Amino acid sequence: MHLATMKRCALLLLAIFGFTALSLAQTVTGTVTDKKGEPLPGVTVTVKGTKNATSSNNSGVYTLNNVGADAVLVFTGAGISRQETAVGGQASVNASLETSVGNLNEVVVVGYGTARRKDLTGSVATVQAKDFNKGIQTSPDQLIQGKVAGVQIINNSGMPGGSTTIRIRGASSIRAGNQPLFVIDGVPIDNTSARPGGADIGVGDKSQGGNPLNFINPSDIASIDVLKDASATAIFGSRGANGVVLVTTKKGQTGAPKIEFNASVGMSKVLKKLRVLNAGEYRAGLAQYNLGTANDEGADVDAFDAITRTGITQNYGVAISAGNEGAKYRLSMGYLDQEGIVRKTNFKKYSANLSGSFRFLESKALGLDVNIIVAQTLDNQPPISNNSGFRGSLIGQALQWNPTKPLRKVGSDSLNVNIGGDVFNPLASSEAVNDLSKVSTILASIAPSFKITKDLEYKLILSANYGTGNRKTWIANFINYNDPRPIQRQVNAAGVVTNAGGYARLANNETNSLQVTNTLTYTKNITSTVNLRALIGTEYLKYNNRNSGMNATGFANVPYPYYDYFQSTDPTQIRHEFYVSPTSELQSYFGRVDLNLSDKYLFTATLRRDGSSKFGENNKYGNFPSFGAAWNMSKESFLKNDFISNLKLRVGWGKVGNQEFPAGASQRRYNVGFGSVTRDQLENPDLKWETSTTTNAGLDFTIFNNKVSGSIDYFRKSTKDILFLKDAADPVIGGGKKWVNLPGEVLNSGVEIALNTTIINNNKFNWEFGVNATFLKNILKNFGAPLETGEINGQGLSEVRSQLFTTDQPLNVFYLKTFEGIDKDGIGIVKDQKTFVGDPNPNILLGISTRASYGKWGLEVNMNGAFGHQIYNNTANAVLTINNLGIGRNTTPEALAAGESLASPISASTRYLESGSYVKLANATLSYRLGNIKFVKGANIFVTGQNLLVFTGYSGFDPEVNTDKTYQDLPSFGIEYTPYPSARSVTFGVNFSF
Amino acid sequence: MINIKKLPLLVIAISSLFGCTKLDEKLNGQLTEDEFTQLSGGGAGGTPDFTALLNGVYITLYGPWSNQDNIFALQEHTTDEMIGPTRGGDWDDNGNWRVLHAHIWDANHSHNANAFRDLLRTSFQSTDILRFTPTPQVAAEARFLRAFTNYFVLDNWDQVPYRENTTDPNEIPKVRKGLEALDYIIAETEAALPGLPDNAAGVPNFKATKNAARVLLMKCYLNKGVYANRETPSFDAADMNKVITLADEIIAQNRYTLATNYFDNFSPTNDLSTENIFTLGNRDPAAANAGLNGNGVMFNYHQSLHYNSPVANGGGWNGFTTLSDFYDKFDATDKRREASYPGVTDVQGIKVGFLIGQQFGPGGVVLKDRKGNNLDFKRDVHLLETDPIAIETNGIRVVKYVPDYGPQFPTSQDWVFYRYADVLLMKAEAILRGGTATGGQSTSDLVNLVRDRAGLGGLGAVTLDNLLDERGREFYWEGHRRNDLIRFGKFLEPWQDKTQSAPARLIFPIPNRSLANNPNLTQNPGY
Repeated sequence: MHLATMKRCALLLLAIFGFTALSLAQTVTGTVTDKKGEPLPGVTVTVKGTKNATSSNNSGVYTLNNVGADAVLVFTGAGISRQETAVGGQASVNASLETSVGNLNEVVVVGYGTARRKDLTGSVATVQAKDFNKGIQTSPDQLIQGKVAGVQIINNSGMPGGSTTIRIRGASSIRAGNQPLFVIDGVPIDNTSARPGGADIGVGDKSQGGNPLNFINPSDIASIDVLKDASATAIFGSRGANGVVLVTTKKGQTGAPKIEFNASVGMSKVLKKLRVLNAGEYRAGLAQYNLGTANDEGADVDAFDAITRTGITQNYGVAISAGNEGAKYRLSMGYLDQEGIVRKTNFKKYSANLSGSFRFLESKALGLDVNIIVAQTLDNQPPISNNSGFRGSLIGQALQWNPTKPLRKVGSDSLNVNIGGDVFNPLASSEAVNDLSKVSTILASIAPSFKITKDLEYKLILSANYGTGNRKTWIANFINYNDPRPIQRQVNAAGVVTNAGGYARLANNETNSLQVTNTLTYTKNITSTVNLRALIGTEYLKYNNRNSGMNATGFANVPYPYYDYFQSTDPTQIRHEFYVSPTSELQSYFGRVDLNLSDKYLFTATLRRDGSSKFGENNKYGNFPSFGAAWNMSKESFLKNDFISNLKLRVGWGKVGNQEFPAGASQRRYNVGFGSVTRDQLENPDLKWETSTTTNAGLDFTIFNNKVSGSIDYFRKSTKDILFLKDAADPVIGGGKKWVNLPGEVLNSGVEIALNTTIINNNKFNWEFGVNATFLKNILKNFGAPLETGEINGQGLSEVRSQLFTTDQPLNVFYLKTFEGIDKDGIGIVKDQKTFVGDPNPNILLGISTRASYGKWGLEVNMNGAFGHQIYNNTANAVLTINNLGIGRNTTPEALAAGESLASPISASTRYLESGSYVKLANATLSYRLGNIKFVKGANIFVTGQNLLVFTGYSGFDPEVNTDKTYQDLPSFGIEYTPYPSARSVTFGVNFSF
Repeated sequence: MINIKKLPLLVIAISSLFGCTKLDEKLNGQLTEDEFTQLSGGGAGGTPDFTALLNGVYITLYGPWSNQDNIFALQEHTTDEMIGPTRGGDWDDNGNWRVLHAHIWDANHSHNANAFRDLLRTSFQSTDILRFTPTPQVAAEARFLRAFTNYFVLDNWDQVPYRENTTDPNEIPKVRKGLEALDYIIAETEAALPGLPDNAAGVPNFKATKNAARVLLMKCYLNKGVYANRETPSFDAADMNKVITLADEIIAQNRYTLATNYFDNFSPTNDLSTENIFTLGNRDPAAANAGLNGNGVMFNYHQSLHYNSPVANGGGWNGFTTLSDFYDKFDATDKRREASYPGVTDVQGIKVGFLIGQQFGPGGVVLKDRKGNNLDFKRDVHLLETDPIAIETNGIRVVKYVPDYGPQFPTSQDWVFYRYADVLLMKAEAILRGGTATGGQSTSDLVNLVRDRAGLGGLGAVTLDNLLDERGREFYWEGHRRNDLIRFGKFLEPWQDKTQSAPARLIFPIPNRSLANNPNLTQNPGY
């Protein structure tokens, strides 16, 4: 081919390409949604590098003409993160955008429906997936710690998979039952875990409960909405008083099938190791106190190091999703394997989530949503309890261990154990005790809906939540937690017990709940300025649980694990456990009306009528109304300016209930024992829910050209008809109590401030900063006779309580003897009279989060803190005193330096009450966006650090602590007692899709 | 669009799909009263299982007794035979033990509160049975057990609240005080007595029997003067003669003899004791009275023995001791002071009675304390131990119940309420206080029966003082001492680590929590 021909060909090719290119400059349409799949109106869509732009309509749909096949669309708008998407020759380009709190069109999940943020009259906070705490997170509540004003979330201990304390706007109950209602995709979850409780194996009988939310994989969650005031929660009636947390899981998106992967590996170490004497210091201490050398056993050991380790955590997940207009689905699977920092302990989770959304008929009027969450969690717990006595539990044993005493016998691998002694080798405890739990949970819901007319939709949600747990515990025969009876133990010629017989327990638990919800929703623009939304519904819920188990000792001559050899023990010595709860039923009718006048004036009214089988005969049904109103001032012409883009005033009032008391409490009951029958607990046919009345006033604002948004809320929550297990007048049956509604009042009031700013936002650099602060006041009024709680445990600390519920004081006020120092003989002087000396409830809660991105780099830092409260250090009171030196146990360098007598009593006193204020660098994540590499899309690598820094004056393990020191059913708050220590972790991870 | 007026209809239609529940609560693991009577009595309106209900009453006795705290602590720590020293880091316990011995307790004391509640619990369960019109014997046993526990409430608090019925949870219980309460207890016991079983062979000692009722009546009449005037009691000869008549009714049966080995009454097989009249049963789970088992009585020796003492269940607790002045009331030859118990001392090394000096374990091994020093129990002891070295070893230890090394947990020995020795000594006291001697038995004859068993010679003349001492030696750590000291007018006197106390201490305060729930109770004077 000669040159001319080539030129012609080239021209032709050019012409063809040119033609093609021209023919592809087409019309592109699409839907803009948030990450939950809800349409986003008002988003600006621009063809990059041109002035060709449009915005999405109320259904989130946009249409852009004359878009080149290789063009890039830029999505921008208030409250959303800028996103660029390549057209890639497609005629339909959908976008799923990250939204931030300031977004007024953001769809917020409210009870039994959704609402746009700008239509809300109540106090509702939303945390999106991108804002969740990163790193090792085992349950959804941990994702929003420090993120929401007015919400305090405490990891009760460092135990992997352990329970949390959640308080929305303070505590309003004087019994266990301050946790909010959790609702997963419209299905309320009962606050009990199917994990069987622990048994007293000789180191105390209260062990950390499982977190009932553990079955949810945090990476399946799209958003968490927190309903804080009664005008938002009253639709949940008798269960709304502690606030409601609505968890929305991720759903399939319209578009081609997509597979996403995430993987991370982390390392955890002890956050803080308490300083006790080392071997050299211990010897010096023995000399200082003229104690001779009988307790100097020659070695040099660190018992705490011996029972702790670096824990490795692995987390993997895969999610497949796809969808078109008729069907969307998402399937995900997750695996978490978290090693605890205490040796042998771990937490594993296998989870799967399938959600599908289907629209049928040509009109798409018939819909069907299905959601199934299946999970199994496994854990191995150490012998750590909340109320161990003189034997201490594992942490106490390690802190107290004589550092000159070898943990293993010299010159051998065998553990240095004295069966029958009162000092426990922590390594032997760790080695001997095995406590394995397995919890399997299914949460399944099926929700058909039908659009009866354009304006009227009927929806049914049928759901079942089933949990089953088993717990297998065994203790090897070389430790004497249990009574080593002669028949079950072996004694050598010298009379020394060589085999304590061991212990085994099997326990099973089953929880069942079933729920049916019917709703009818009516939405109508009555005139162009009057919009009405109405909802009515009914709900039925049934719940029960049962557990059973057995335990025995005397496994002298069988191999491990003992729970496989129950048949080898004396059948008369096998003890059985059995419990079945009364069936709880809840039957409800509810409704809500929202009226929107010109987008300026908004009114909401709700009413719920709840009947519960738990309520007494004379109070079967309760009514829970609420009203809310909002005024969008920025829509008024007199406030129209560039400075304020949104200013909304909200007021709300409502009455909500709390019915967290045990089923059966209102009835006359007989307990059937073996050969005996006894009356159990006095009945109360008047028993009913506890009522909280909340008033809320709030101001939402977005100012400085959308750069700053936030809200300020004032609330006042008055709780009456306080549910309480009260002393009945003697003579009375065992326990001496009955459930009543007390005449007193718990008053919580406070101010919440949330502020989010975008400091810099340009193509390269983006920096956002958010802070939330809560100022809380808590007081108990007209309570009557004071009641003690906050049990203090340990040697010499029987029948000691540290807190009171009493009139005109905050809940759980510390009531203690005052420590006045050490006298000339080294004896601690404690004033006999107890006084009010502190408050475990913080006055100020603080959350700070900041996020910066530069190019492909991102940095995110979250801090949280609490101020103005006290913590009782039961650990120091019980296991670190100077007295230990005289009895072959360890103490602290400070105790040694104080010159205190070994005979100084260790009365509970203000000596062990410390300020609990702290600020934590809770987590920080550095990420790098690799972007698209060949077929791999959106690859991202990150490193997250958790619990990196703690600023506090508190001398215990971690000021974020709440060991359960309940006394006679009255909950405690703010006490530390040899808890599972907190960890500091670093996690490396990657996620990508294709 | 459908007519809005039809909406409610639609909702009703939909909800009817799932029905409405009446919200009746099904208890599952427990029974309603109807279920209970129907299941055990055969159909509606039937009678409930009275044996089971009655066992439920017996079970209520385990709470107050046989532990180291509760009513036992109130009867012993407040006297000259027990002290609960704070040993540095041990046994501070909010000062609970110190205030009892020093007679400075207040109305918030937790053992005081628990004892009041737990004793009255028996009263509630007994009254609950009686509303079903049970068989005469069940009714008699229930009434006796109510009177038996009411007596302790009277003795300790002087006010006995009671419910007329147990079906109105809002009823505020009424209160009987002092002699009015005593009259009620006597009347109830006398009314119950004919319906109670005889102490025939096969009737275990833990059963409420005619003799148990007789001993309770003896206590009522003997102490009547105390309830009339606790500070300066006087005793009416007619009451004393009633004590003597009741004693004679028991003696005449020839059913009881003093056990040759005093400690057999407290051994793991003390159900076979020839001397115990009324006990709290703790038997093997497989035995006939299975289900009737409490904590066992091992805490009675755990509370005193050292951590390194050779007893089952992880050693003792190194707590309470007796006082040297009390110890010195014993003759060196008194078999009750210290003894080797066959099958225990020769195997485990541990003795019974009072432990003083170096302690030995199995095979004669020399026991050590936790500092590594010899475990050598010393006479000296104080409420607040301040010697850092002797802190663990001070105080003479007491092992009244013979440690049980058997297979059962809890231990299978019975807690002893009433013994034949008490019948003899009460009769002697009644004669001494103006009653008429009967059956040819003088006060010294009666007292010397008891002394003889202890290996001691007879007393020449019995006086109130040496009778009180004899009762101390015979019944130490059995829960009788406070009652005895008050009746003999000695309770307020000073003794080791206690100064003279005010007359208010003769009665315990009504616990604050009980007072708060019943306006019919009034706080006892001085609190």
